Amino acid sequence: MFKPSSALLCALLTLSLAAQAPTGKAQVLPLGPTIPDDPAFQKVIDPLAAEIKASFDLPLVQAPQGLLRGRRGEENLLGYWVADVMRTAAQGIVGKPVRFAITNAGGLRSNLRPGLLKVADIFEMMPFENELVVVELTGAEVIQVVKEGIVRRGGEPCSGVKARVDGSPEQPVIVLTWEDGSAIDPAETVRVATTDYLYGGGDSIPTLRKGRKPFTTGITLRQMLLDQCAALAKAKQELLPPALGRYTLPVPILEAIRDKKLKL
Amino acid sequence: MERRSFLASLGSAALASQVPLRAQEGPAAASGRITLLHTNDTHSRIEPFGPGNGAISGLGGVSRRATLVRQLRQQLGPVLLLDAGDTFQGTPYFNRYKGRLDYQLMRMMGYDAGTLGNHDFDNGVGMLVEAMEAMEQLQHANAPFAFLNCNFDCKGAPALQKRIRPYLVKDFPGVRVGLTGIGVAFAGLVAPKNHEGISWRDPYESLKPIVKRLREVEKVDLVVVLSHLGYNLNGTGPDDLHLPGQVAGIDAVIGGHSHTFLETPTRVPQALGETLVFQVGFGGVNLGRMDFAVARGQVRAASGAAMPVLA
Repeated sequence: MFKPSSALLCALLTLSLAAQAPTGKAQVLPLGPTIPDDPAFQKVIDPLAAEIKASFDLPLVQAPQGLLRGRRGEENLLGYWVADVMRTAAQGIVGKPVRFAITNAGGLRSNLRPGLLKVADIFEMMPFENELVVVELTGAEVIQVVKEGIVRRGGEPCSGVKARVDGSPEQPVIVLTWEDGSAIDPAETVRVATTDYLYGGGDSIPTLRKGRKPFTTGITLRQMLLDQCAALAKAKQELLPPALGRYTLPVPILEAIRDKKLKL
Repeated sequence: MERRSFLASLGSAALASQVPLRAQEGPAAASGRITLLHTNDTHSRIEPFGPGNGAISGLGGVSRRATLVRQLRQQLGPVLLLDAGDTFQGTPYFNRYKGRLDYQLMRMMGYDAGTLGNHDFDNGVGMLVEAMEAMEQLQHANAPFAFLNCNFDCKGAPALQKRIRPYLVKDFPGVRVGLTGIGVAFAGLVAPKNHEGISWRDPYESLKPIVKRLREVEKVDLVVVLSHLGYNLNGTGPDDLHLPGQVAGIDAVIGGHSHTFLETPTRVPQALGETLVFQVGFGGVNLGRMDFAVARGQVRAASGAAMPVLA
């Protein structure tokens, strides 16, 4: 059991303080306008930074427009790209059509700025070890997943559907179709690509947890994105943002989402 | 930037002038002072922020923070160096070194205690424990720092449980400081497999008996909470701003999670006086500082400011 008054513990925990220089009389040494690096720390960090740089500075692909998450109310083109890559990769892995993919905007930690992308950019944007999971949902459940994402954040990045919210914040009407404009049959069972994080209950899209026949691919989202960049570069193509238009939400609806007043 | 330069050059002088510069010596000293230096949400920012990061471009960096901490320790009396969690995740350093480097550098810098944030569970409990072990095994003159939390039930994760303490008491001339920590709910933030064996309990209810024990049994002069709840959740969940009103007797809340940039601590009234609630952004851009002067078990003066870690 922990004993905070233990002499040994106190001695151990105050070692660094005991070693500090005596303060002497009241005296304040001004800090400079800049702070130099601590040599002892740089000695540790420099070789590790070089190691990081060697692998993470490797060039990947040109992204002349970059891929941006968009500010509040704007569409998340970076997220759309990630969801597209997830859906395509999932189809390749299960060998069958995957109608829908969804990830979470909160998991995309930075924009991909215009220019030559490096390995480090993908790591910084997708630092998590989240893995691709394929599950089965009904069309009705897909609709509910999209609704939950809209209510929570104005729509989580997805691939395969188009959503529009009409009406007023008090009486919203959601129009949801597959990406080609065809109707979603509520009773139809479809395959859905998502992450183990969302499937496990992360980020509050509860209907995703209902996913049946989960297939855990063991492939991280980051690796899929790195592979996609490498494939584009090999084909001498650029990484370009997907088209707008997956979520159409008028301003009053966006304001109601912001104020947590929208119910779908 | 001008303001930052001003704070960096004059901050310590201005703050230090508000409280006695030296604690009274000797075991019977009835008064003293303590400075809390603190970080939150450092997110594996080993190097300073590069260009293209707006107002925080060029700021931060562990090596510079180490210099600043060393300089302040040379100037000041008793100092505690503390962290409010989310040390992990955010740069390739975490992907490569899995948090071991972050914790080892914190030990080298002389951190006294930290708490756990949601991202510290990103690679699961096993990897978190491995990072803690790597820090403990580092050959260094500084002792390993403590991990504090009182609202995680870790019975199902014994390797973590034995490394987490509900509270810690540190004695300085004329000041006895009690420290504890609280974490944010896992739901929606940490995948269930990554906090296997650990359950979350209400932070307010978990804190009440700890603060009571620190005050009444341990007889501390100052109670400090390392919190990873977030600054202000507008009533949607427990947070730092509402904590003092729910749990009386806390003098300082060192916060994290919401990445809130405060220039000075927010003074929150509570049943037994007031609580200084502070948080200094994220990524090691700032080092927080709070100074407390204590006499006969009462806080007589308290102040604080964020100190930018400048290039």
